[in-house]
Amino acid sequence: MEPKNILLEMKDYIVEMGAETINWCMQCGLCTNLCPWRLVPGQTSEEFNIRHMQRLGQMGIEGFEDENILFACSTCGMCQNNCPRGVKIIDNVKAMRASIVGGGMVPAGLRPILGSCHANGNPWSGPRENRTKWQEGLDIPQFGPDTEYFLFVCCHSCYDPRSMKIAKSIATLLQKGGVSFGVIGVEENCCGESMRKVGDEELFQKLAGANIELFNAKGVKKIITTSPHCLWSFKNDYAQLGADWEVVHYTEILGKLIAEGKIAPVTKSGKKVSFHDPCYLGRHSGIYDAPRELLRSIPGIEVKELERSRELSLCCAGGGGRIWGEVPMGERFGELRVLDAVETGAEVLATACPYCVNMLTDACNSLNKQDVLEIRELSEVLVDSL
Amino acid sequence: MEKKIGVYICSGCGIGDSIDLEALSALAGEHKAAVCRKDPFLCGAEGVARIKADLEGEGINCVVVAACSPRVMSDVFDFGPDKVLERVNLREQVAWCQPAGEEDTLMMAEDALRMGLVKASESEPLEPFIAEDINKKILVVGGGLTGMTAALEAAKAGYETVLVEKEEALGGYAKDVYRLPPCDPPYENLEEFDLEDLRAQVAGEPGIKVYTGAMVASVSGAPCMFDVEISQNGANCNERVGSIVLATGSVPYDATKLTDLCYGTSPDIVTARDLEAMFKGGAVKKPSNGQPVGSVAFVLCAGSRDPRHLPYCSSACCVESLKQARYFKEANPETPVYIFYKDIRSTGNYELLYKQLQKDGVIFVRGSVTGIDDDGSGGLVVTSDDVLTRSPVMSESVDLVVLATGMVPTSALGEPFKVQAPQQDGEPAPVASDAILVSNLLNLKYRQGPELPGLEYGFPDSHFICFPYESRRTGIYPAGTVRAPMDYQQARTDAMGAALKAIQCVEMVSVGKAVHPRAGDQSYPEFFMQRCTQCKRCTEECPFGAINEDEKANPLPNPTRCRRCGVCMGACPERIISFKNYSVGMIGNMIKNINVPDEYDEKPRILVLACENDAYPALDMAGISGLSYNPWVRIISVRCLGSVNLVWMADALSKGIDGILLLGCKHGNDYQCHFIKGSELANTRMTKIQETLDRLALESDRVKMEQVSITDFNLIPKMLDDFAEKVNSLGPNPYKGF
Repeated sequence: MEPKNILLEMKDYIVEMGAETINWCMQCGLCTNLCPWRLVPGQTSEEFNIRHMQRLGQMGIEGFEDENILFACSTCGMCQNNCPRGVKIIDNVKAMRASIVGGGMVPAGLRPILGSCHANGNPWSGPRENRTKWQEGLDIPQFGPDTEYFLFVCCHSCYDPRSMKIAKSIATLLQKGGVSFGVIGVEENCCGESMRKVGDEELFQKLAGANIELFNAKGVKKIITTSPHCLWSFKNDYAQLGADWEVVHYTEILGKLIAEGKIAPVTKSGKKVSFHDPCYLGRHSGIYDAPRELLRSIPGIEVKELERSRELSLCCAGGGGRIWGEVPMGERFGELRVLDAVETGAEVLATACPYCVNMLTDACNSLNKQDVLEIRELSEVLVDSL
Repeated sequence: MEKKIGVYICSGCGIGDSIDLEALSALAGEHKAAVCRKDPFLCGAEGVARIKADLEGEGINCVVVAACSPRVMSDVFDFGPDKVLERVNLREQVAWCQPAGEEDTLMMAEDALRMGLVKASESEPLEPFIAEDINKKILVVGGGLTGMTAALEAAKAGYETVLVEKEEALGGYAKDVYRLPPCDPPYENLEEFDLEDLRAQVAGEPGIKVYTGAMVASVSGAPCMFDVEISQNGANCNERVGSIVLATGSVPYDATKLTDLCYGTSPDIVTARDLEAMFKGGAVKKPSNGQPVGSVAFVLCAGSRDPRHLPYCSSACCVESLKQARYFKEANPETPVYIFYKDIRSTGNYELLYKQLQKDGVIFVRGSVTGIDDDGSGGLVVTSDDVLTRSPVMSESVDLVVLATGMVPTSALGEPFKVQAPQQDGEPAPVASDAILVSNLLNLKYRQGPELPGLEYGFPDSHFICFPYESRRTGIYPAGTVRAPMDYQQARTDAMGAALKAIQCVEMVSVGKAVHPRAGDQSYPEFFMQRCTQCKRCTEECPFGAINEDEKANPLPNPTRCRRCGVCMGACPERIISFKNYSVGMIGNMIKNINVPDEYDEKPRILVLACENDAYPALDMAGISGLSYNPWVRIISVRCLGSVNLVWMADALSKGIDGILLLGCKHGNDYQCHFIKGSELANTRMTKIQETLDRLALESDRVKMEQVSITDFNLIPKMLDDFAEKVNSLGPNPYKGF
């Protein structure tokens, strides 16, 4: 075999793009072992090895550009949270993607997504004016100087008909609880979290810059997000860019309202419910207890903890741009998650992220388990109990 | 000495509930004990006072304590060197491992007492061997980092020290050392190294006498009476010293043998030592053209962990290379630095240095280097099979390639002292791992050879895990890289340890006590020379080279070199070597005093000769753990299986004992024998006894040797039961009753 050339210039470029800790990696391989891709069969599982990919990056050696490898990671954070060297593995993935995407080499499947963001401010090819369509039938206030919280609804819940129900139920709960909140509406842009993860740094900067300018102009101080992805991005990516807001996930606010008696769930069903920790709520943001307390506040339902939960939660495969990936049946993490829930004896698998709802619903349908397991957003379960 | 025996039987700790002590007392009477007393708490103040009162009032000078194991309460039952003391182990090895009140249990206790009485009546009080013209000076051979540290430590502890260095200036390998790996938190920054300060400390220490440009021409004598001839500038001077620290260090592996790593093909391929000297000298330049070095590649394990070169890990080179890589990164963080490695072995806090170098952006490539080639533009490219990408990789062009060559101990240089006959195919015979090589370090006037025997790869260690700093020559303690591959910090620690061992040695030997492992023992072997046949077995087999020979092949024992293992006693066919409290005749008589019931009683007897170092404690542990074992066994503690004389087998079998089991330490390459060769020698001798047994029409299965570690106590019951079953299946010893 011809030797592959070590290219220090390429390595330095990747580091410059943000892989600041790639050199720290000592190649122990713990990351590869913990990766959810090890749990499924198939071509991507065989080709994608995060340890190996970082090794190529460390030496600037070609071979990581292949779409199956470079775009496989769902940024679930399982490896990063356990890395003995403290390597920021997701930053490294992001930087390696950026080194390719920045040069204009965008995978075909992602082109319309990124294009829609440029054109419409959302990845779902939805017209800007439809951003508030989810509000139909509700009386959602506009954010203004007298409102305390700005409710930022994830693009997914603005445009996906199934997901709109999530936005509706969260808004309903906030209103019942008497929270002072409002939305800005059509001028909002996608938070850009996934755009940055797929390596389109330029697009992210555009979206984030516009949002920061808009939010600050409107006088936003406190934000409630419906999605943990927007939550994480505002708290981390945006903070790097100088944004200074108090950002909370809706589950954190609702917990307070229940504790104060402003929302009082009652017994409606005696179902067994399991909670799936979304990666960006749990591992990335450290919020594990708030959603569980919400579930336990509902009288009558039985909470069944999944075997892989909290820090060890299994990714739905929707992060890092994977929500737009095409994965053959039998290779989807979500299917394992649905089986986890069925095995636990749950009748409802509740979660608190629109991407998770999307991925788990697909998996449940592809496994034909709709009759035994319902995939619900936590806010929907709560609204049902009012 | 006129013996007056007092027998003291303890009934505490369950002994009285298990054994009929009246019967034991009667037995003591039969054996003419002047006094026999029972006590419920013999190790208590009153119990000990009763014994002491008898020593005063009754003139008892020979005390038999029938109570707990001799391994415990040794300070309580200490009645001074002028009294004979024998301990009979009724507690751990009878009461605690046998059913209470049984006839077999009593018989076992009676035999134990009988044997104890025989041994007591045949032992003599110990008279420690006090050497003539005792000297407590410490000689340190080698004036490098280890040697200087050892000399300073010994001198600071108040011992006069003689330091011999072959070069004109002190320093050794450290002379070329620029800086040291990190020694303090956060373990990321290199340590300054001030050799001048260390030299000044040595020079300023009045207790240290330094010989530079000097070699040890010869060492004769023994601990506390070593006569050392030092040759310096063509003249010879003499020093008398008590003990020796060998700190002659190591040399880098000969890089000219590393043709597979292209050494010699380009002046820009250098060794780690060359690079260190460049930094020390302040001029780091490409040897080929004198230009500055803008990029560098290190090749680790250059000749180490490689069956074609050094099979072992040289331990320090990973960290040394990380240190040198840091030199470059500190000077210019942009300098491309590659490290090609097999495994990074940066143990302990050096892990943080490794991490720092990763953060510095060093390219680490794991795999075997397959080529170092000229790239045509005056640079070099390194090709390696990278196991982490599963493909060969090639570096960019570098200005310098550094080979981290391993360590060869100075003791591994030189030809074997004993010339081996070539093999039948004419090939030279392989050199045994423990061969003595004529390496011109100590030039000992020892019959077995002029240097320390090796353990493996020419390192003169003697099993560091069990016996730190010991060599196979009493009073000579190797330290630093001559003992094992190690780095600067470890070498300093090693120097301190060896200096303390050297001090311990002179203090013990000067009052006639043995050093490790029978530390404090005042017995020593005495030779009844009239009956010596000059067979040379004792001089050949002593694991410690303690016995020299005169020109007529008479053994010349050196008691202060002796470790008191009794291997010589086991070897001697004439049985002329004895200790005052341990001899062939004495143990033989103990065996002959075992009560052997006739064959119709169906009570076979099995003699267990148990090494006192592991097997005997394991038997105690079995009792302490409440395990019970076969009641036919009769246990005699021996100093080492190497001290077992074959005549004891004849004594036992002619007495009618049905089986003999030898329990000793693991032997072979990974031995655990406290006397290194004892267990192995016993094993060799056993093959001979079995041939003899076969000839006598006695089943060779009646004699067996087992290896027991102290942690194997839980295996003891099965081991004894299995052997008893085997012996039983052979039927009674036909010599029974003769």
